[in-house]
Amino acid sequence: MFEQLSTFPGYDQVLTGAKKLFGRIIQTGPVPKHVAIIMDGNRRYARSHKMEIREGHNIGFETMASVLELLFEAGVECATVYAFSIENFKRLAYEVEALMDMARLRLCQIRQHGELCEKYGVRLRVVGNRKLLPVDVQQIVQETEDMTKNNTRAVLYMCFPYTARDDMTQLIRNVVAESLINPEFEISESAFNHFLYTPPLDLLIRTSGTYRLSDFLLWQSVLPKCSVVFSDRLWPEFSPLHMAKILLNWSFNTYWYGHGNGFVVLAPGDSARAQKSPVPVPDSAEDDYSDSSSDAAVDAAVEEEDTFTSDEDPISK
Amino acid sequence: MRLKVLNLTYHPSRSPQIIRDDVTKLDKLPRRVAAILDLRDDDDENGGVDGLISDISELAAWLVLAGVPHLTIYEHDGVVKLHISELVRYVSKNLRLYFGTDSIPTFAVRVPHTNATAYSHPALGTNVDLTISVLSRVDGKPTILELTKTMSELAANKELSIKDISVELVDEELVELVGPEPDLLICFGPSLDLQNFPPWHIRLTEIYWEPGNTDVNYAVFIAALQQYSQCEMKVGK
Repeated sequence: MFEQLSTFPGYDQVLTGAKKLFGRIIQTGPVPKHVAIIMDGNRRYARSHKMEIREGHNIGFETMASVLELLFEAGVECATVYAFSIENFKRLAYEVEALMDMARLRLCQIRQHGELCEKYGVRLRVVGNRKLLPVDVQQIVQETEDMTKNNTRAVLYMCFPYTARDDMTQLIRNVVAESLINPEFEISESAFNHFLYTPPLDLLIRTSGTYRLSDFLLWQSVLPKCSVVFSDRLWPEFSPLHMAKILLNWSFNTYWYGHGNGFVVLAPGDSARAQKSPVPVPDSAEDDYSDSSSDAAVDAAVEEEDTFTSDEDPISK
Repeated sequence: MRLKVLNLTYHPSRSPQIIRDDVTKLDKLPRRVAAILDLRDDDDENGGVDGLISDISELAAWLVLAGVPHLTIYEHDGVVKLHISELVRYVSKNLRLYFGTDSIPTFAVRVPHTNATAYSHPALGTNVDLTISVLSRVDGKPTILELTKTMSELAANKELSIKDISVELVDEELVELVGPEPDLLICFGPSLDLQNFPPWHIRLTEIYWEPGNTDVNYAVFIAALQQYSQCEMKVGK
């Protein structure tokens, strides 16, 4: 039914409007700065809908664009998506080639139209072990990065091809190299964080009901401040509405419990833990929320529920 | 609520047969189970170090009955590391309650950070039914930092080239320093909080937690094993 609705004239405008509205509302409370997504389930979706696997990946890409639009509307400064794992090279050559084709096509599209990137001022960066990509894809990646490098509002990190262990090894290599050049360089956790390519992670989402991190952003996601959310939906079924729910949950939990995943047992050493965590948590940010938004957050939650129903009405008519 | 019902129906009340029955229904079992435990206030029920130790001894008994040979305990501050002899004594006592005095399983407690091992029956050698590794925050990122320091010293002395630092090398070293990656991680807190768990060691680990749960209980444990038995590992394929 949902697919038929999307063919109605004006659907896109309504959806964009709804996302904008949601973005405004959610910004009254805490918003994660950095969201990472493991987009899992394209192939299972394709199989269960009797499509070609290539088609499943294509729909997955559409979902990604749609979800990212919502994230950037909500004021997320940095998004990381797991596009391709180094382990994925083990898949059938045919599928790997199809994925590479898709990367070529989509990156060229981004370059030519630049819609998503230009509209939101999004800078695209591709992270991971790029040497493993075919040469022409490397070329395209480089050109697309260059084209968007002046955008400053938000950054989209595409992990392609990436594994966290590879990344951590690279990190160790960089730190060792730095310490050789600069003898006064002190090897510490903050030095490591300095070499990380992304700001601290606030929210990690994994779809398709798999409860694993699968070698993605391991260093970042074990931080006590990062919340990990698992969704049972396959990635192509994951809609901006689900994303909105997760954002609302995160926002409420952060405001109410001080942790994005909800209530956590506060151990006696907990305050010490917060200090020990390598990412300094600005106290001022928390103060901002605590005075004005005690009612506002609850109101916002109620309002958002309303907006969804009211947004859906015009569609269902 | 669901948990309370499960607890009532499942409560093993120290009867090995129920646990064995539950486990034989499962298709596959993890070889290594890790648990994140929270240190609670001394005044709380089951709080303080004693509470942690009694939780660990329960877990140890369940794992022996399930036939899982490795248990990893992660507690952020590492207080258990200071009470290893008490831990050994208490786990022995608890195993006696489950298995009777005739056939107490043997076990070893390892603290990888200080490279210390305590055996329950030193006379019986190093072949044990269960190995308990006690980890804390220092076994995570700080250990990776230490490794990096060592590597940079080696590199400064031209004994190691930067090119030689590979995923395999780092993995080998970290398995040596901390231990292998667990197959299943059970978080006994009310919501998922990884608390700086060693990042290298949760690559493909299946993660389980029960929302709203605050203590170590059998219902959560068996639900975690059930989830693991259904999961499908493809590793990229």
